[in-house]
Amino acid sequence: MTRTDLRFVLWNGLYGIAYAMFNVLFFASFGVLNTLAWVIASALGIGVWIASSTLRTLAQRRHWFDHGGFQLTLRLLAMVLSGATFTSLLVASLVSLAALYGVVDSGPAPNLGQQFGYWANIVIILGMWTALWAGRRSFHLRQMALLRAKSDRSALELDALRARLNAHFVFNALNNLRALINEDTERAREMVTRLSNTLRHALDYGAGDTVTLAEELAVVDDYLAIESVHYEERLRVRRDIADDMLRARLPPMLLQLMVENGIKHGIARTPAGGELSISAHRHGERLCIEITNPGQLPEDTAHRGVGLAYVRGRIADTWPGAQFTLEAIADGVMARLEIPQ
Amino acid sequence: MSVRTFIVDDTRLARQEMGTLLAAHADIHVVGEADDVPAARSTIEALRPDLVMLDIQMPSGTGFDVLDGLSYAPFVIFTTAYDQFALKAFELNALDYLVKPVVPERLANALSRVRERLEKRVFDPAKPTAVLGANDHVFLRDGERCWFVALAEISHIVVDGNSAAVHFRNQKAMLTRSLSTLEARLDPALFFRANRKTLVSLSMIKAIDLAVGDGYELTLKNGSIVEVSRRQARELRERLAL
Repeated sequence: MTRTDLRFVLWNGLYGIAYAMFNVLFFASFGVLNTLAWVIASALGIGVWIASSTLRTLAQRRHWFDHGGFQLTLRLLAMVLSGATFTSLLVASLVSLAALYGVVDSGPAPNLGQQFGYWANIVIILGMWTALWAGRRSFHLRQMALLRAKSDRSALELDALRARLNAHFVFNALNNLRALINEDTERAREMVTRLSNTLRHALDYGAGDTVTLAEELAVVDDYLAIESVHYEERLRVRRDIADDMLRARLPPMLLQLMVENGIKHGIARTPAGGELSISAHRHGERLCIEITNPGQLPEDTAHRGVGLAYVRGRIADTWPGAQFTLEAIADGVMARLEIPQ
Repeated sequence: MSVRTFIVDDTRLARQEMGTLLAAHADIHVVGEADDVPAARSTIEALRPDLVMLDIQMPSGTGFDVLDGLSYAPFVIFTTAYDQFALKAFELNALDYLVKPVVPERLANALSRVRERLEKRVFDPAKPTAVLGANDHVFLRDGERCWFVALAEISHIVVDGNSAAVHFRNQKAMLTRSLSTLEARLDPALFFRANRKTLVSLSMIKAIDLAVGDGYELTLKNGSIVEVSRRQARELRERLAL
């Protein structure tokens, strides 16, 4: 039993007692507060208490609140109607029982109209109570769902940030820096600057931004300079950039991500290393970027991972008409990105 | 006591940095280094160091691939830049690993643990005919999972064709070595060949019952039952009489 359950048991008990007391007062105000009145008032109190406890237990057990809205209202209404019917029957049977044992004089039986009046009265009282707590509960659940959605989104953003920061790269760079400080101070100082540039750029860009190819290539240069310190002669870079494309626009970090993947899946996994080539040229009205690395495409497509899906997702969201492909070539893999200008 | 140490890392600067850090410890002698799995295996096998500083990710495989191919288990301190997942494969208490850039105090702690264990060691990798003692470790691997296991934790070893199943801590791992090469490296005071297929740790025997013929039936502490052939029964009597 949770704390909310306990709280409900308490309030629901008070509700039953309050309803019974209301009826006692009602009878008293008409000056007919006899044994029969006490029996009727108690039966009403107990009846609505049982009806409303059952109602809530059912709603909880069968997860009615998951459906929400119309379905929930319909079910609660049906339960209120049958709860009121149950309460009326309980009152009637207790009164007859008391009369049978001669405790009370039941007097003339109420006619059908009166009976409906009593029943409708209970429906209203039980309905109001149900609406009150069910409303509170729905509101509470909606708040919870909102909070959960918010925390899910934060977790996703954190994952994305982690991917942007590329921890493996950063810590390797810092480790290399420690050695480089002893070996070549000037170069170490330059690497600190380049690493700062890379980190700042990874943190700064926004989802809707665009950059020029020249700007993006500057980032890639910083990144590759740091990776050259790590891989040394294993990483050989070839650039072939058409001058007239330097002002072409593209989403930030896509080219960078393609280069990172070329290193991660190509250079890092090839013992002798190899050539990473970056080319950009015009293809009709499109900017066409090709990155090749000496790696191999995994045989099973399920392993073509997160990075690929991320790139496709990014261009689909921000750049209609853009295309990304990955294919095996003579001795390596080529990633190709086409962006309409 | 000097600790003969070997460095494995695919990056020259990382090896150099590790060398610089180790130079602060007078008893650590770096005997060599390697930049990839095959080179690491062959050089370690030739130099037989006491300790290996082992990078987890390399171009042609992992640090576990290096250990898997060795004929003995050196002490190992793993190093990694950022690899939350690789180490999960490793289920052992004795594992030491350092993240790069390495904090000198952490390295010092890891090295003192190595020195402690070096004191208790019977096995000396530098001697070609060395045998393994109860506190010495072997490296076991079964698919994705890896362990360093002390001989004292092994209950028995069952051979099946070219591979041997090592039973320890209620688990089992396959070794791709024949029983005779294995037997040659185990201290004969610790293990007993119960039959053609099985080596049993003497300290793991709980009960000995007579079996049909002149053989015995051994019940081990983990509940396994091993038959002792008639030929070996006599030897067992002699061993236990000692």
